[in-house]
Amino acid sequence: MSNIEIRDLVKRYGTVEALHAINIKIEPGEFAVLVGPSGCGKSTTLRMVAGLETISGGEIVIGDRVVNGLRPKERGIAMVFQNYALYPSKTVYQNMAFSLKLSRVPKDVIDQKVRAVAEILELTELLERKPGALSGGQRQRVAMGRAIVRDPKVFLFDEPLSNLDAKLRGQMRVEIKRLHQRLKNTIIYVTHDQVEAMTLADRIVVMRDGHIEQQGTPDEIFHDPASEFVAGFMGSPAMNLVKATAGADAITIGDTSIPWALPASISNGDTLTFGLRPEDIRPAIDASEVSTRLTVTLELIEQLGTEKLIYFTVGGHSFVGKAEGRADLRVGQSIEVAFDMVHAYGFSPNSGARLR
Amino acid sequence: MSKKLIKAMAVAAIAMIPVQSFAQTKIEWLQWFAAEAGADTYNSLVSEFEAANPDIKIELVNQPFGKVRESIVTDHAIGISADVLGLNMPWTKEFLDIGILAPLDDYLGKADNGFSKDQLVQAPIGEIDGHTWMVPLTAFPFVLHTNMTLVKEAGFEHPPTNWDELKEYATAISKLGDGISGIGLPFSSQPPANGPILTLLPLLYAHGGHSMNGTTPDFDNPAVVETLQLLNDLNASGAAAPGAASRTGGVDVEEFVAGRTGFLISPAAHSANVRERGADFEYAMTRVPGDVNAYRVHGFELGISANSKHKDEAWKFISFLLGKQANAKVAHASASLPGNLEALADFNTDGDEVLAKQMDILSNDTPVEELRQAPKATASWSIMTEEIQAMLAGNQTPEATAAAVQARWLELIK
Amino acid sequence: MAMEAQGQGPNFSTRGASLFQAIRDNSAGATPYLFLLPCLVILGALLGVPLYKVVEYSLFDNVIIKPDPIFVGLDNYSNLLSDSGFWSALLNTGIFTIGSVLGHLVVGMSLAMMVNADIHPRARTIFRSLLILPWIFTAAVVALNWQLLLNPFGVINYWLGAAGIINEPLDWLGDANLAMWSLLLISTWRGYPFIMVSFLSGLQSVPRELYEAAEIDGANFFHKFWHVTVPQLKPVIYGVVLLDLIWTFQLFPLVWLTTGGGPGRVTEVLSTLTYRLAFVDFQFSQAATAAVSILVISAAFTILYLRNETRNK
Ligand SMILES: Nc1ncnc2c1ncn2[C@@H]1O[C@H](COP(=O)(O)OP(=O)(O)OP(=O)(O)O)[C@@H](O)[C@H]1O
Ligand SMILES: [Mg+2]
Repeated sequence: MSNIEIRDLVKRYGTVEALHAINIKIEPGEFAVLVGPSGCGKSTTLRMVAGLETISGGEIVIGDRVVNGLRPKERGIAMVFQNYALYPSKTVYQNMAFSLKLSRVPKDVIDQKVRAVAEILELTELLERKPGALSGGQRQRVAMGRAIVRDPKVFLFDEPLSNLDAKLRGQMRVEIKRLHQRLKNTIIYVTHDQVEAMTLADRIVVMRDGHIEQQGTPDEIFHDPASEFVAGFMGSPAMNLVKATAGADAITIGDTSIPWALPASISNGDTLTFGLRPEDIRPAIDASEVSTRLTVTLELIEQLGTEKLIYFTVGGHSFVGKAEGRADLRVGQSIEVAFDMVHAYGFSPNSGARLR
Repeated sequence: MSKKLIKAMAVAAIAMIPVQSFAQTKIEWLQWFAAEAGADTYNSLVSEFEAANPDIKIELVNQPFGKVRESIVTDHAIGISADVLGLNMPWTKEFLDIGILAPLDDYLGKADNGFSKDQLVQAPIGEIDGHTWMVPLTAFPFVLHTNMTLVKEAGFEHPPTNWDELKEYATAISKLGDGISGIGLPFSSQPPANGPILTLLPLLYAHGGHSMNGTTPDFDNPAVVETLQLLNDLNASGAAAPGAASRTGGVDVEEFVAGRTGFLISPAAHSANVRERGADFEYAMTRVPGDVNAYRVHGFELGISANSKHKDEAWKFISFLLGKQANAKVAHASASLPGNLEALADFNTDGDEVLAKQMDILSNDTPVEELRQAPKATASWSIMTEEIQAMLAGNQTPEATAAAVQARWLELIK
Repeated sequence: MAMEAQGQGPNFSTRGASLFQAIRDNSAGATPYLFLLPCLVILGALLGVPLYKVVEYSLFDNVIIKPDPIFVGLDNYSNLLSDSGFWSALLNTGIFTIGSVLGHLVVGMSLAMMVNADIHPRARTIFRSLLILPWIFTAAVVALNWQLLLNPFGVINYWLGAAGIINEPLDWLGDANLAMWSLLLISTWRGYPFIMVSFLSGLQSVPRELYEAAEIDGANFFHKFWHVTVPQLKPVIYGVVLLDLIWTFQLFPLVWLTTGGGPGRVTEVLSTLTYRLAFVDFQFSQAATAAVSILVISAAFTILYLRNETRNK
């Protein structure tokens, strides 16, 4: 269990700067998730913590030590790779025992540790198999087992679940969560899947183009996004984000005006990006009294089971809302929808920053 | 032939016009001569012959010396022998055993030959098994090539004339340093591994010795032992270039031409290499040092395949090549003397000291030719090479070397 | 050419007939073989006929030399097996083959790993091209160059002398104690690119993550080599080594053109012995017998190789 501090970390590939002086502080035992679109620098950050990439600038501290110059094995970390990176010629047992063997741990101690971890991960039956004879989920567990056996201060995961099918991904997510509750190690976990980020993280770090857009608890990230990017990135389907003009206690979207208690930093006549999550747009019959009501024509309906996504146009802009899974709705139908404006957001149309 | 026939038939069938049958005979001439020097001369002689004999076409097949013997044997085995063969006297006995050569007696007796038999250099036309098997295109003695620049630098005036001088001069030249040696001993095992006949035999003959008794190996006689002792002395005293056991005949010539050895014992024809390559040292050719004026005679020989379907045409070409004028041209091109001595009349040596010296040796000294009748000649050189390597490495005395060669040679021909 | 000598061998047409028989008996299953037929015929002509000829020669007394050779059964084989020259050539062949293959492996593998390292891509391309050079020269050129290098007055002796390692020049190819080592040096130089290239493509297919995982597990260079590289390349190594054994085992020109089997016979290998028997001694049947011995041993390696190949499928 160690704290991790990343200070002004820079990575350059030749003349291209991939990371621009990022700062992250992770408490001991915290589960931190780096999330962001492809190419934003998540893996690069993680690999620099692991010692697999050189550091172009800044510092990484694990525990009390600056680890910049240390080799991976000296950093007290373990890593789980996206493709598992199991040694194909070794059995599950040998894969898990390898690092202990290299550090000359006595045979009986190795055996004891490997079997204990195998027990936790339900790998005992598979110990003599080679990776080629395992399913994807089993390989994933072996890769975690290999990391756990070493009893590291820090776990690093780089998209460990992205090669699994949806169902398995769900199960493994739970397992990882349980494991963390049990082992209480510090974890940095990279993913571009926001559900994983939301469900696993104590702290989410949203990255974009080599810098940090926002970091905080899942609640903060989801409900109090610092920017249009974060707001649009977290949540599925994504938040409705449309151009609007501020009026007096209202905004105008195209030809439609919607009453809204403007945040302090927005004044009458400003243009802004208006944001409202689909969850906050419902058919009026399901909605609370305070919400704003509009009559719209349904253009598309997606049945997800527990709920339906409803698509319609307001003021020339497309919107998505959510309805009950059992709601009786048809395309072309004209219904009244309620906008829960208490949870509406405004963003600067230029910088994307939250307007509060 | 058949290809030509098919072609002719095809043309006839398609064009439906009568084809004038133009029976041209094709003769192949396999040799290494043109590959060594004077390729132009050989080509122009072929053209000259073809112009005079429009019904015969000559195909000149050039191969390096090391390859020709092998080609002759394999071609014979497969049945695709060239008609006219360039020959080397030491191969004769081996080839006769396989039946490669056609006897030439009848042809030599013909009245319309372009030369007269008595005027030919005699060694090659000596009978074996009652027949003559080849005729001499050119002849040259084995000689001592000398780099006079080095000799003078070492403090001497003339090329060595006896073994003591050879040893003394060669040792002195080796002392000049700079990677320069007195003489090379080419005793590599690499094919054709003919160091013994290049270096040992000429010295042996100049010492009045021999290596065979008739057609029987006689290698353990005192003269051979003394010659071996000479090689051993040259090697031990540092007069010879180091690395005898990896030195090929080719390298030996190259090293001399490049000015890195003082002396080279080899066919006189190699003066052409010195000349063509424009070596920048003073060159001299003399008889191989020794105590008698005897030389190993050598030359380019010609024969006809026993398999040839065009022996008459083949002979016609040979007869042309032995004619005075053609023969003189070949001799000039190869820096040797004509096989037909009549050609000497057309042979202008004026000003050419090298040719003059060769003529002097050929006309005044005794030729020695043992290899024409040597059984298993090629294999016997390998044996000599291996035993001499062991001697030069200090593993056996000259006496033991001579005895070992004799025993192995006898075993070989048993 | 051998075809001409052979004419239309009866063995060939009977084999053809039985093939047709098979096709007729099982018309549905045999159709694919019909398409193979032209290929089989050509292969048969290219491989079968010369092979048959060599074996046939080895059962007669001196073919080619004698107009009417007679059948002597296995006499040539008992001659060969009782000839000490054969056994020493066999031993030399073993030393030469194993030594060469080991040399190829060590040098080829090391260079493959060096060239595979993370360096500037252009530098890497240049290195790779340079390192493959020994492969593209003909044996004759290789032999000639090494003869010059190893000559007593050659560069190698000069360097060793200048470095104070030797006092006087050595005759690397002419000294009975050094010749085989020199030959192995030349053969290693000549043959490593094949291994290097094969391993290079193998190395490039080793997932990078495996090395990273090993690094995190605390592996040093040798651990990574032994636990990641070698197991990953194992199928390649096995196949390539067998192929190399087969090639080196019958390698002729390099030996013949550098030492000619000498000095004495210390570097005489089976292939040079065969050549010597044929073209120096004109004992063609004995040469055919030696050739068959090479064939048998090569065939054993080849079967191993093919088995390995099918196992890898
Ligand atoms: N070896 C490299 N050389 C040059 N640029 C690189 C290298 N590795 C990564 N990059 C660049 O650095 C940036 C960050 O890459 P990184 O792998 O960290 O992205 P990521 O956030 O992990 O993306 P993904 O979700 O696709 O894995 C990208 O623009 C990438 O192109
Ligand atoms: Mg990544």
